[in-house]
Amino acid sequence: MNVDDWLRTLAAELHQRRVAADAARHVVAEAATHLREGGGDPWVVFGPPQQYAGAIVESIGTAPGPRPGPVRLHARGITKRYGRRTVLHDATLTVRAGQIAAVIGANGCGKSTFLRICAGLISPDAGDVTVSGQLGYCPQSGGTADFLLVDEHFVLVGAGQGVARGPARRAGRAAARQLGWEAGGDEQARHLSGGTRQKLNLTMSTLSQPDVLLLDEPYQGFDQGTYVNFWDQLGRLRDAGTAIVVVTHLLNQLDRVDTVLDLTPAQQTGRRAPGVQGGHP
Amino acid sequence: MNRLVTVAEMTLRELLRRRGVLLLLLLMPLTFYLIRRDAYLGQSVRSLLLGVGWAVSTAALFATTAARELEPRLRLAGYRPHHLYLGRMLGLWMVGLVISVPFFLLPMVDGANLRYGGLAAALLCSVGVAAPFGMLIGALLPRELEGTLLLLTVVTVQMLIDPAGSGAKLTPFWSTREIATWAVDHTDQGYLARGVLHGLAVTALLALGVAAVANVRLRRRRHLRHLPVG
Repeated sequence: MNVDDWLRTLAAELHQRRVAADAARHVVAEAATHLREGGGDPWVVFGPPQQYAGAIVESIGTAPGPRPGPVRLHARGITKRYGRRTVLHDATLTVRAGQIAAVIGANGCGKSTFLRICAGLISPDAGDVTVSGQLGYCPQSGGTADFLLVDEHFVLVGAGQGVARGPARRAGRAAARQLGWEAGGDEQARHLSGGTRQKLNLTMSTLSQPDVLLLDEPYQGFDQGTYVNFWDQLGRLRDAGTAIVVVTHLLNQLDRVDTVLDLTPAQQTGRRAPGVQGGHP
Repeated sequence: MNRLVTVAEMTLRELLRRRGVLLLLLLMPLTFYLIRRDAYLGQSVRSLLLGVGWAVSTAALFATTAARELEPRLRLAGYRPHHLYLGRMLGLWMVGLVISVPFFLLPMVDGANLRYGGLAAALLCSVGVAAPFGMLIGALLPRELEGTLLLLTVVTVQMLIDPAGSGAKLTPFWSTREIATWAVDHTDQGYLARGVLHGLAVTALLALGVAAVANVRLRRRRHLRHLPVG
């Protein structure tokens, strides 16, 4: 693990332990300066990043966890069949303002279908969804226009909310910066790399400042740094009161979420993850 | 209004950036015109108009298919279905008008003795019908190959069918043919009136079809209930 990796891991650990974002940035910047000026292996100077993060938490404490707010999304008894195949059976999920919910499960178990039903893009065979406030949705792929510039995507989404071009462009670039991406310029979406295109996709979904944000594995193609930025960004949105539902198959991130909906068929795993409220026959 | 204009503008921008497509859009009617140039001029002009209609329909088909994944998220971002389909139609009409200009000038340069007002009306009719026609096919058939094949079938029927037969009136570009006959053969005003009426009716019907499909596809689903933030 080189210095950059060590610093990234430290940042992730601090975030995970709910150290206030500003304080965490300050600690990482100080450690980086110390290592740059003094040299040396961070493992020797500071020890393992997990241990150092623990010491920091003991020293400065953590930011008080925001209390979950009112219910923003309530999906109840969602059942969906494709022909004779039942993809979802009686899936239920409640997410409050300031919470992150993860929807997990094996390939083909209906994670994306569940999210599309929550977004109102497809109809279920049974069940209903109640959403309070503005809804944002980021698909797994697609959802951008190949021949439009990045800024034009921001303008297009902004116009939907009645936002003028200049502010929409600025808001898009600011949101992109949160993911460590300097958006803008005259690059068409089709020339962006897969990961950058997903950053555009994600930025578009947060641009309308939704109260409920639905993300369908939005991190495809992200490098390690962007991936950390992505979870940091989710943390910031959660702290600002957004209710977030993220489809994921990366179980190592589940400690960052408040509730889990496991859609894996029961007979396949023989267990249910904590927080599961139903989901499959 | 701003939403409508923004969608129209983005459609226009997208199409104008596809330089290869634009070139082919211009090449298609030109080929149609030149291939019949040795024969009777009227046939050459009618082919040109059909070429313009086909080119704009194809562009509309591909633009509609390309927007399929983007539109649901724009709907969530605050657009209503009519902003999306009318905006796109408006953009496609503008593209159609842009590519029509050289084809209005071509017979003029070629020294054809035409009623040029009639040629302009026929071009307008061709573009007017073509945009919602291609959009409707794109909305009904989600895959480009199927859509292109259907478009090809309709245009082939249009070329081969007897224009005097009653079945010809059911083809989308019959109006263009009638107006072209008035412009090229200097026939009576009845051709022009029939053509304009048919063109307006077909455009309106196709636009209504596009609206119906878009309203169904982008409707608010009954299972989803929106509450204000409380």
